[in-house]
Amino acid sequence: MSTDLQDFRAEIRQWLDREAPTDWRSAATHDAFVESQRAWFRKLVAAGYAVPHWPERWPGGGRTLLEQKIIYEELSRADAPRLLLPFVSTYHAYATIGECGTQEQQERYLHAILDGETWCQGFSEPNAGSDLAAIRTKAVRDGDHYVVTGQKIWSTMAQYADMCLLLVRTSTEGAKQAGMTYLLMDMDSPGVTVRPIHQIQGDEEFAEIFLDEVRVPVDQRVGAEGAGWAVAQATLASERGLTLMELSYRMRGALTRIARQLTEVGRADDRGALRDLGALKIRIDAVCALADQFLRKRMNDEEQIGDASIVKLAYARCLRAYADLGVRFAGLDGQFHAPITFGDLNSGNWMADFMNSYAWTIAGGSDEVQRNIIAERMLGMPREPKSWTAEVAA
Amino acid sequence: MSEMRQTLEDSARKVFPNWEAARDASDAWAQVAQLGWFMVGVPEKIGGLGLGDEGLAIIFAELGRALVPGPVLTQFLVIEALVAGAPFEERDGLLERAMSGEIMTASLAIGGRSSEAVMDADKASHILLRREDVVALISQDGAQVKARETWDVSRRLFDVAVVDDAQRYVVARGQKAAQLNDRLDTLLCIALAGDALGGARAALGLTLDHLKGRSQFDRPLAMFQALKHRVADLKMMIDTADAFYADRTSQSLTALEAGELKNFCCAVYRDTVEDAIQLHGGVGLTTEYAIHRFFKRAFLNCALGGDADYWNERAGRAAMAESQAKA
Ligand SMILES: Cc1cc2nc3c(=O)[nH]c(=O)nc-3n(C[C@H](O)[C@H](O)[C@H](O)COP(=O)(O)OP(=O)(O)OC[C@H]3O[C@@H](n4cnc5c(N)ncnc54)[C@H](O)[C@@H]3O)c2cc1C
Repeated sequence: MSTDLQDFRAEIRQWLDREAPTDWRSAATHDAFVESQRAWFRKLVAAGYAVPHWPERWPGGGRTLLEQKIIYEELSRADAPRLLLPFVSTYHAYATIGECGTQEQQERYLHAILDGETWCQGFSEPNAGSDLAAIRTKAVRDGDHYVVTGQKIWSTMAQYADMCLLLVRTSTEGAKQAGMTYLLMDMDSPGVTVRPIHQIQGDEEFAEIFLDEVRVPVDQRVGAEGAGWAVAQATLASERGLTLMELSYRMRGALTRIARQLTEVGRADDRGALRDLGALKIRIDAVCALADQFLRKRMNDEEQIGDASIVKLAYARCLRAYADLGVRFAGLDGQFHAPITFGDLNSGNWMADFMNSYAWTIAGGSDEVQRNIIAERMLGMPREPKSWTAEVAA
Repeated sequence: MSEMRQTLEDSARKVFPNWEAARDASDAWAQVAQLGWFMVGVPEKIGGLGLGDEGLAIIFAELGRALVPGPVLTQFLVIEALVAGAPFEERDGLLERAMSGEIMTASLAIGGRSSEAVMDADKASHILLRREDVVALISQDGAQVKARETWDVSRRLFDVAVVDDAQRYVVARGQKAAQLNDRLDTLLCIALAGDALGGARAALGLTLDHLKGRSQFDRPLAMFQALKHRVADLKMMIDTADAFYADRTSQSLTALEAGELKNFCCAVYRDTVEDAIQLHGGVGLTTEYAIHRFFKRAFLNCALGGDADYWNERAGRAAMAESQAKA
């Protein structure tokens, strides 16, 4: 490694020794966790470590692949909290507005993100999950506004968000995809009601959003009316690929938790257990290499259809294997309830980690949906005949 | 893609477009020698091409893709022993002969089992013998060789017993022998990993062709989602192995790092061929279809160069040590 990079590593390590919060694991409530996230994000922005994947013109942006890797390795090493609250703003909103937004929208929203404005993603609906194009939330044009009515669900951190990436239906004519439009909605608009959802591991990470004649200015539309599907792809692509380098390195760092678990139960010399640990370690290393390679392709404009699905599926399956081994090594101890650590996928609270791992196998296009994409769009396996109706089944 | 990769892959694909092109062992051997592959890893100043492990890694994957038979992998081990060991009077001459394709062989096993799984020992002029404290090249007439038939017909393996007064060139001794053995284990593991990766890709390709070409229930098999998902999982694992291989072989590796790589790639190969036979249906069980050839080579690769239990355990112990160092 060049001396420049070594210096860079030393610099961020020193900074983290000084600044990284150490008490975030003890946040007893979701609100307290969110507060700690805000403070941590402010510090990272000021130091230039918050958005290494943004372009150079942004403070802290324009980092090379190796620099990004070092940042994530060091964050993991310092056991610093992952940015969950600003996740949608720094990835989804940034990618969408950066790629498809007007100059004016970029000026207006991207600066605000670095100032701490938070976003949520309002795509999924009760009847439109994997089949996202089935959304029904309706937007009707009224002068300079759209009037939006409907319901969104599973929206991560919506209860704390200032803004929403909102996918709506502006037409029911033609193909389902053709009638979709992409809006940026203020969460404090009249008619917006947010209700947190209780999750099986005790968190309230996502929420339902009810929309009752909410007025959204037309200049807060991204892309043309009817072009929402294409814009949404930019949003989805950001969560499938880019963020996985950080998550993979975090999982790599957290291998120590499994090693410690093994020691705790007195099996540090159990050859069978060591083999399983070794196999997992190797697999995580391989997934890290895959995430690296994906980011390199992305930066060199060499990404191909399906690459992002491969990385996401590989990470999600590996994350499950991680939690699975932890649960196994913990044995009965792992079955006694322990308070969860908000925002940590590799916390060592094994049952919670296991339940949390579904976030990556279901959200952002489930494993099954990724497999469909890989099979059909990468490997050229033919799609099934399109329509299925109750009459055919009868 | 680097220029080196492009050049090596292009020439490999021209000569060995598929496994059938490499079917005849002595033809394939002549082709490999002619392509100059035995010179790839040797430094320029002693007559090689100086492309290092990165260049070799590309070739290993091509050998696996085309199921190239014959003692190619072991030839690389002998060449590496000559390059990395202590120079002796006849070294340059032997090296030149090995690079030009005179068969010299070695074992594909590790851990003191160097008299087993020696490739094509009957055809070799010299056999590399690896002991903990000494690595030596003995001439073939100083060895008794016994053929062991393998399931994988692309490899011919022999047990070797060395007669006491065999003529030998000592390549390394003592501490140096331990270092050289480590280096040879590393290279062997990279070679098996590459072979596995290339083979897995090819086996997946054959399987896809089959699924797209055969119809049941009035539709191509490839339309069934149950099969799509299995194939997609294989593709995901193969791409992961691919990235892992590219990443690791661009650095200089310890034996453990290479063993980990070998383990991962061989496991992916094995999983791929296991499913590949199933997805072929009955024809997968016939010698008429090629898939069994990949299947058998994949299983042999798993058993060579240290098996899964061996490397997983070492990796696990290393992870424990790493975690203790962090605490
Ligand atoms: C932790 C988490 C956070 C999320 N955050 C957000 C957010 O911020 N914003 C947002 O808009 N959404 C969010 N989501 C929603 C997420 O995108 C959806 O849950 C996901 O798309 C799946 O939809 P669904 O839950 O309706 O399941 P369904 O689509 O009903 O799927 C049920 C099962 O059927 C399978 N299935 C569905 N279709 C197919 C098919 N064609 N072939 C094979 N199998 C299929 C699925 O894989 C799954 O196993 C989040 C979800 C989770 C779990």
